[in-house]
Amino acid sequence: MASVKDLRDQIRSLKNTQQITKAMKQVAAAKIRRAETAQKQARPYAETLGEMLRELVGAVSRIDHPFMNPGNASAPSGMILMTADKGLCGAFNANVIRQGESFLREHPGAAMYSVGVKARQAVRRLGGGERPTWPLNAPSKLEVAREVAKAASEAFIAGEISEIVLVSSKMLSMLVQRPQTLRLVPVAREGIAGDAEASGPKAMVEFAPSPEAVLSQLLPKYLEFTIFSAMLETDAAFFAAQLVAMNNATDNAGKLIDEYTIQMNNARQAAITKELLEIVGGAEALNG
Amino acid sequence: MATFAFKLIAPTRVLFEGQASLVIAVTTEGEEGILAGHAPFVGALKPGVLRAEVSDDSGSRRLELATDDGFIQALPDRVTVLVERALSIEEIDIEATRAELAGAVDPDAIAFAEAKLRLARNA
Repeated sequence: MASVKDLRDQIRSLKNTQQITKAMKQVAAAKIRRAETAQKQARPYAETLGEMLRELVGAVSRIDHPFMNPGNASAPSGMILMTADKGLCGAFNANVIRQGESFLREHPGAAMYSVGVKARQAVRRLGGGERPTWPLNAPSKLEVAREVAKAASEAFIAGEISEIVLVSSKMLSMLVQRPQTLRLVPVAREGIAGDAEASGPKAMVEFAPSPEAVLSQLLPKYLEFTIFSAMLETDAAFFAAQLVAMNNATDNAGKLIDEYTIQMNNARQAAITKELLEIVGGAEALNG
Repeated sequence: MATFAFKLIAPTRVLFEGQASLVIAVTTEGEEGILAGHAPFVGALKPGVLRAEVSDDSGSRRLELATDDGFIQALPDRVTVLVERALSIEEIDIEATRAELAGAVDPDAIAFAEAKLRLARNA
């Protein structure tokens, strides 16, 4: 049985760990709020952009934009793998990376762009067609999204990759994050149009200079913004995952502390009992 | 004067939300002035000066902003403008913009810097 001193040291160290995990939990909780605010603020723009795109796609019969046409079929796929920069968040990054790996198995030789430090490390490990990499946490996420969109769409238009696929984390709730694979380019007409066409004929909309011209300016923006939204979502989901992971760590540390405290009390009591017995035994011996 | 709902939205925030009686934006085809009851219209904006006669909780005023490229959607009862960036006169650093303009190569960056200076000059 461990000595009282050993157990006391053990408990002290656990308490320190618990303090750290508790602090990280509180920080994560605060940061989720910030990340969610950022997400909320980006929503009006995304919604309006989507609405305009739907109107445009409904108005144009044949769209001649590279993003709407199938890519170079003989080229490999292009994958944007998006994770957080840091760990200590349970299986959050690992799940996304696993999803990326399975995509790579189905599409051998895919070019891999990475956003987030963990994604970069994974891409390095996976080898293959490594492409530019960006951190998730940048002073301006929008700027990063723009660069990612530019690099990927240039490669797509040049025929170096056949499609642009985004593998990132979707935040289903505060407790559940799930990795998802989304094809961004070529843009599926049905994906955008959605129920718009089912809702009957729309009022005639005038486009300046022409629907095609507006669309060709709007599509790249749409790609940028989709990546930007995914970055914001990854950020929020990361902190949610970290909150849960740190909460569990704090609870586990608490359980261990309780267990060791009982052990320590037992050991101390055993030592006291043993001493008493010795004293009593000694007194008996003198009397006898 | 008849007004309509007007929203000016940047990627990370809503810059203005309220009523407007007139919105003048620089589309790729030139300046477009929009009054209430405009026919449905969607256009692409290029960097320029966006002007609007607006009113919200803080009263009526004239909104003048240097905007980067974006889009405008006009419906009879509402107008929505999406811009990458929009700066009011107070937010523009003239010296920095001049330096920016001198060093810029990207045509869009040049156009945005020029729009900022034009707004500063008008004020």
